[in-house]
Amino acid sequence: MRPGRGIVRFLRAMVGRSYPRIIGSNRDKSWLFYDTVLPLLGTIAFVYVYKTLGAPERFVGYVIMGGATTAFWMNVMWSMAAQFYWEKQGGNLELYLMMPCGLTPILLGMSLGGLVATLLRAILIVSLGSLLFHVSYTLRQIPLFLLIFAVTVVALYGLGVVFASLFLFWGREAWHTVNLFMEPVFLASGFYFPVRALGFWVGVGASIIPLTLGLDAMRQLLFAGSHPALLPARVELAFLVVLALFFLLLARRLLQQMEYLARREGRLSLRF
Amino acid sequence: MGGVAIPRSQEGRFARWWRTFTVAYWLGWQIESNWTDPLLFLIYSVVRPLGGVLILTVMFFVVARGPRGPVLGFFVTGSAFWPFVVMAMQGMAMGVLADREHWKTLRYIYSAPISYRAYLVGRSLAQATSALAAMGITLLFGRWVLGIPLHLSSMRPLLLVPSFFLGIAAIVAMGLVIISALVWISGEAWRLPEAVGAALYLVCGVIFPVSVLPRGLQVLSMGIPLTWWLEAMRRSLLGEQTLLSFPWASDGRVLGTLALLVAVWSIGAARAFSFAEFRARALGILDQETGH
Repeated sequence: MRPGRGIVRFLRAMVGRSYPRIIGSNRDKSWLFYDTVLPLLGTIAFVYVYKTLGAPERFVGYVIMGGATTAFWMNVMWSMAAQFYWEKQGGNLELYLMMPCGLTPILLGMSLGGLVATLLRAILIVSLGSLLFHVSYTLRQIPLFLLIFAVTVVALYGLGVVFASLFLFWGREAWHTVNLFMEPVFLASGFYFPVRALGFWVGVGASIIPLTLGLDAMRQLLFAGSHPALLPARVELAFLVVLALFFLLLARRLLQQMEYLARREGRLSLRF
Repeated sequence: MGGVAIPRSQEGRFARWWRTFTVAYWLGWQIESNWTDPLLFLIYSVVRPLGGVLILTVMFFVVARGPRGPVLGFFVTGSAFWPFVVMAMQGMAMGVLADREHWKTLRYIYSAPISYRAYLVGRSLAQATSALAAMGITLLFGRWVLGIPLHLSSMRPLLLVPSFFLGIAAIVAMGLVIISALVWISGEAWRLPEAVGAALYLVCGVIFPVSVLPRGLQVLSMGIPLTWWLEAMRRSLLGEQTLLSFPWASDGRVLGTLALLVAVWSIGAARAFSFAEFRARALGILDQETGH
């Protein structure tokens, strides 16, 4: 294959990095168990909490949606934010940096691959969870729902690249930091309950995590009339667009800065 | 490491086991904690469990909107003790994988003249120690912020102390069972401990009584010592003022069943580990790296 230039090289690198995540990982079918059953187990536990409390059916729907969202958050944190840490451990990071394409298409490829794979997993989680617990949804504004989902995902993966650039500098701290961003984020973003329950201003503060607004807006469209919204869905969409742009610009700037710093400090090949 | 004596040539079996255990404990603690300063480590240790209990608390208040009830005590005690399972059981398994895949030291540790089981138990208990802070802070939070009836006067130390240590023994035994499976698995080995942890979280009555589960899962949960351990912890800390998974059982029966299950699981774990170890050595896969 002749070496590409410009945008061709960029796209080739992006597709090349997304390939193992879409095609490669599906060669081993064990992901069907680990990536669908495993998140579903945790989700079911929270469903049973609501059943213990005698909650209305829509709360079960909240939890199942939260479980699917967990798949995206885990993917962004473990396979985007911390990915350069794993690559450093595996010795790939130096190879990426020596390639003529730069880190941006590598990260975009990781995002694209992760998104496709996680979307498939999230659909399976929602389908299985809804079938198991007989949850029904009333989705009337499908285009708006899809738009909100798309913008949320762009903002979320933008945040993932921001974290990835920060973690480029770190060693073991990266692993522990990702671990730390689990339950506290599930709490602040209202993965298992309407975020409005935390209070308006706490919910607004937690909206820096794109999933907070995205999840709240999608719940409004799925449980119209009964969901206590933080803000109207269209206002949340507007904020999500702003967040997406902000994270993409920040990610680009941070990536350049942190790469330079990591090179200067000699941390790119520092494994432990 | 300061303080580790050079072994005498005629060192007894128990002395060698103890020395391996203590060194492994120290090593486990260093790996667990020395990536940051002690204050940050403490915060890191308590934030996740506190986050978990707060999620449950908000879920409770969103639905109940009323007075605090025994359910909150159930949530708090389950969330307070679950980090022991995450840290000691999952941590033990992840430690073996890290030795094999990450640090690439498994072959050297295994071929050293030490008891590998003592090493694993030491590593596991070091992880369990880091769960103590999470347990303490979560219980204090439950007592002083959520107002759960956690009073010294209502505690039952005769149930609490033996149950606690039996529970730790159960966690170590279950960790050994997971490791027995891990030595056979390559690609997805990193995810198996988490999968087992998630399954146990669902069936062991951590955040809801097992009586809510379908009948088949209830029967399964009764064969797992962790279910009885959490039940014993709740009874010993909260007395009568809590929901129970087994309201029909007396305290003595809970403790007796826990002890019996720990014995059965410990013997089973030792046998499973011996078998897995033998087969892995025979197949030459004990230190097989997977590149994942």
